[in-house]
Amino acid sequence: MNAKERLEQVIDNIEKVIIGKRNIAELSIVAMLSHGHVLLEDVPGVGKTMLVRALAKSVGADFKRIQFTPDLLPSDVVGVSIYNPKDMEFHFRPGPIMGNIILADEINRTSPKTQSSLLEAMEEASVTIDGVTMQIPKPFFVMATQNPIEYEGTYPLPEAQLDRFLLKIKMGYPTPKEEMEVLNRARSAAPIEELTSVISLNDLLELQEQVKTIKVDETIRSYIVDLSRQTRQDSYVYLGVSPRGSIALMKASQAYALLKGRDYVTPDDVQYLAKFVFGHRIMLRSEARYDGITAEEITERILAKTRVPVQRLVGQ
Amino acid sequence: MTSIRKNKLFMAVLYVLVFFMLAEWLTPVIVLTETGHKALFLIFIAVGLLMAFLRVPWWFSGPIKILYILWFIVYVYTGNLLFTGEAISFLRNDFGMNFSALTTQNWAQTTDVFRTVLFFILLWMAIYLIHYWVSFRLSIFLFYLLTVVFIAVLDTFSPYSGETAIIRIMVIGLLLAGLLHLARWMEGHRILERTDKMAMFAVPLVLLVAVSTAIALYLPKAEPIWPDPVPFITSFSGQGGVGSGGNVGRIGYGVDDSRLGGSFIGDDTPVFRAEVPEGQYWKVESKDIYTTKGWELTENLGDSIVYGNNETVDTDFISAEEELETALLSMEQDFPFVLYPYGTKSFSMDESPNYQYNTADQRFETYQNGQEFEPETYEIFFNEPSYSLTALRETSEEDLAELSSEYDRFLQLPEELPQRVRDLAVEITNNSDTVYDKTRAIERYFSTSGFEYSQSDIPVPEADQDYVDQFLFETKRGYCDNFSTAMVVMLRSLDIPARWVKGFNEGELINSEGDTDIYQVTNNNAHSWVEAYMPGVGWMLFEPTIGFTGASSIDFDLELDAADPEQPDQLEQPIAEEPEDTGEEEAAVASGPSFWDRFSDFIAANRWKLIWAMVGGAILAAVLFKIRHRWMPKLLVSYYRMRGGGTERFEKAYLRLLKQLELYGISRKPGQTLKSYAAYIDSFFGTREMSELTEAYERTVYGGDGESVDWPELRESWENLINRTSG
Repeated sequence: MNAKERLEQVIDNIEKVIIGKRNIAELSIVAMLSHGHVLLEDVPGVGKTMLVRALAKSVGADFKRIQFTPDLLPSDVVGVSIYNPKDMEFHFRPGPIMGNIILADEINRTSPKTQSSLLEAMEEASVTIDGVTMQIPKPFFVMATQNPIEYEGTYPLPEAQLDRFLLKIKMGYPTPKEEMEVLNRARSAAPIEELTSVISLNDLLELQEQVKTIKVDETIRSYIVDLSRQTRQDSYVYLGVSPRGSIALMKASQAYALLKGRDYVTPDDVQYLAKFVFGHRIMLRSEARYDGITAEEITERILAKTRVPVQRLVGQ
Repeated sequence: MTSIRKNKLFMAVLYVLVFFMLAEWLTPVIVLTETGHKALFLIFIAVGLLMAFLRVPWWFSGPIKILYILWFIVYVYTGNLLFTGEAISFLRNDFGMNFSALTTQNWAQTTDVFRTVLFFILLWMAIYLIHYWVSFRLSIFLFYLLTVVFIAVLDTFSPYSGETAIIRIMVIGLLLAGLLHLARWMEGHRILERTDKMAMFAVPLVLLVAVSTAIALYLPKAEPIWPDPVPFITSFSGQGGVGSGGNVGRIGYGVDDSRLGGSFIGDDTPVFRAEVPEGQYWKVESKDIYTTKGWELTENLGDSIVYGNNETVDTDFISAEEELETALLSMEQDFPFVLYPYGTKSFSMDESPNYQYNTADQRFETYQNGQEFEPETYEIFFNEPSYSLTALRETSEEDLAELSSEYDRFLQLPEELPQRVRDLAVEITNNSDTVYDKTRAIERYFSTSGFEYSQSDIPVPEADQDYVDQFLFETKRGYCDNFSTAMVVMLRSLDIPARWVKGFNEGELINSEGDTDIYQVTNNNAHSWVEAYMPGVGWMLFEPTIGFTGASSIDFDLELDAADPEQPDQLEQPIAEEPEDTGEEEAAVASGPSFWDRFSDFIAANRWKLIWAMVGGAILAAVLFKIRHRWMPKLLVSYYRMRGGGTERFEKAYLRLLKQLELYGISRKPGQTLKSYAAYIDSFFGTREMSELTEAYERTVYGGDGESVDWPELRESWENLINRTSG
């Protein structure tokens, strides 16, 4: 069974519980395959948790959920050493971060201190407590949700931390037809309980390795660089996409190509993912907000005007 | 990725070319304003460009340039090499003067120094501007065009001759434009600048320019179709000469020669056709009075002799005592006189008119029944006179003094003739002993002293100017009238009798029948030359005009035994010289018109046909180009069928298809991927092939997997699509 078929099995599995969100499932897998994390921005109740749980179950991964509240402390995330009077030693009690797939719910509800403890763990794939560094088991995949920033009582994530999420996805409401289907299925038992894993964690690690072998031609690389550079030159943008953003776009495209059963990246992959990779990395000037222009629209505009490479570069 | 602008070598080459281009601007300005110190101005430009090239900051380069300007002023106007106290006070005074002149708006009071400073500032601006064009815009075309226009205008309307400058500018400009285009192209395609890669483009460019320049230099150049605009315009505005000869004239035989000069445009209207064993100069008449502006004839000499048909005539030229040759002339223009070659014995005409020979101008007028008669065809029996070299080498100045008074009219010169003309004649003939040698020396003078043959842009002498003096010392360019008149005048100043002869040269060889050559003589062949009197020998023809081959036949009858053994050189010199000359003549006659002559004649004869053919061709080409998407597919299909398989072929074919589709009207937006474009194409045509081809193409280009592409199989889809685009 090749990579594409295996990954499609996972997606099919997720689709059993999440209706009409195949693209979201795909993007989640893309992020997972390229060692990235996902920021889900949406209102409560559209199935964010269900998506992550389904994904975890499908790959047989350890699933943990952290509900971020304003009083959550860093130690509640990474764990804490507790003094055991019996043997007179401190014992480390791992926090919920020490799992494979983490749902960090409403991440912008908590204080920046706690946010950063999670984000550090995401970047390093390890936590350090009392001077001891501990590796987080692999694979490690965080799916964070945040309420739209206009909501009351939120601590917006700083730019540097947003940059650590590979993709930002909006789930959106289902269509009426899909919502009917959701109701239909919810009448009987919760379908999530019936899910079984379709690939093993080892398979997942193997697929992660496979992503690295996907070819990114020079033309594509220069296309990615072009796109990133364009975001930095746009008059509405005050902070464009960083080189880390370019790397993210390339890696995500590789994973997406694997998902589509190709061993090379095409400009279509790049264009499709650019919206999700760039969306949270472009900081707009206030003029843009006055004009009602969003980062997504700017990305669309840049995609429309940047020349797609259609032939080999000459002279290289 | 580094920018092409960072490549030092490349930019250095550009700046060197720019320097030469600016020098081409500077040169005419310096020449026309009679400014000195061109080298110092050039150094200023070079320093300015060097500092621009090295990106010297303005606070450093600015003072250096100002210092240079000040130094220039000090050096040029005071002669001081350094800023001495005297120099500084000069600068201060001058500044004060100009400042007060400017503040009081007394423009005339400004000094030369001020103008020099302005000129320097202009150069400064030019340097900055061109630096900006080259370094930032990577474009030179506008400047290039302006340079060409500038030089062309100067060449046309000023004494500055841009003949070689324009070639240099074209070469420099093409190189600059080519290199900058390359730079822009590399920037646009974000190709890494690497010297070896650049050489790949730059070397062919240089070769192309070199080869095209060489070809352009080698190829024959058509004479301008339009007359030189300056005399043309002045003639219309009535500022040209007073006389009829003063304006742009049409070439041809005319009667009034009292005012020579002015430009000519060619006229290939046939005059007559001659069947002769060898090309001849056809004499009409001669003139004897030089008026400083042109030629007139002594009136009322009265002597005329009437000859009958076939009667032996007596001209100043005795034919050689050999068998007579026959010339058959068929006139295409009507003249009341006959044209005759040197050594004419008799004329024969069916109408048997009378031939009235005027000794004053040696013209044979034809009369029949007391009326002027214009002959149509006639035969001339003649034999070219031959001259004994022995006799010619005995022509001495003493003999000249003993000539009878009837030769006085051939020694006439106006009193106003500038002395320098006489001095020049003496100077040219200083080393010649005999009269013949002196005459030959003057005849040869023009071709060895930088004179130029030209029919255009020849001035008419002003009221206080002498025609010959102007030609000899000022213009040094002209046509037969200039050369022959100058020679006659110089000979006369040496007391050698000479006269100015009009007629036609041999014309153009158009056919040969056995021993007989057929020449077509047109108005373009109207000519003037010189006859000089060699004492003891007689009248002889001389041809001073550069590029013409008329020459008297010399009989090398020297007795070798009689030669002075101590001076063998003297003996061999003329012998070695003469055969060379005649050899040239023979070569010129034997080879007839060269390929290029015939080529340019063909062009001239069919000019309008060719122009219409070219216009038609251009329109046809434009139409074909416009509708190329209709016929290109057919060509492409058979081309790619012929060329067989291969990944590379497939890639090219695919890109061709993209272009074809664009021509068809379905263009791909810049941000559109091939896949979505292919989907659109397929939905448009109702096909599946474009997606199929695109997938294979993407695999090749983005996947680097060309091996899996089966072009021969895909070709069918490709052909199907490309054929659709021709609809």
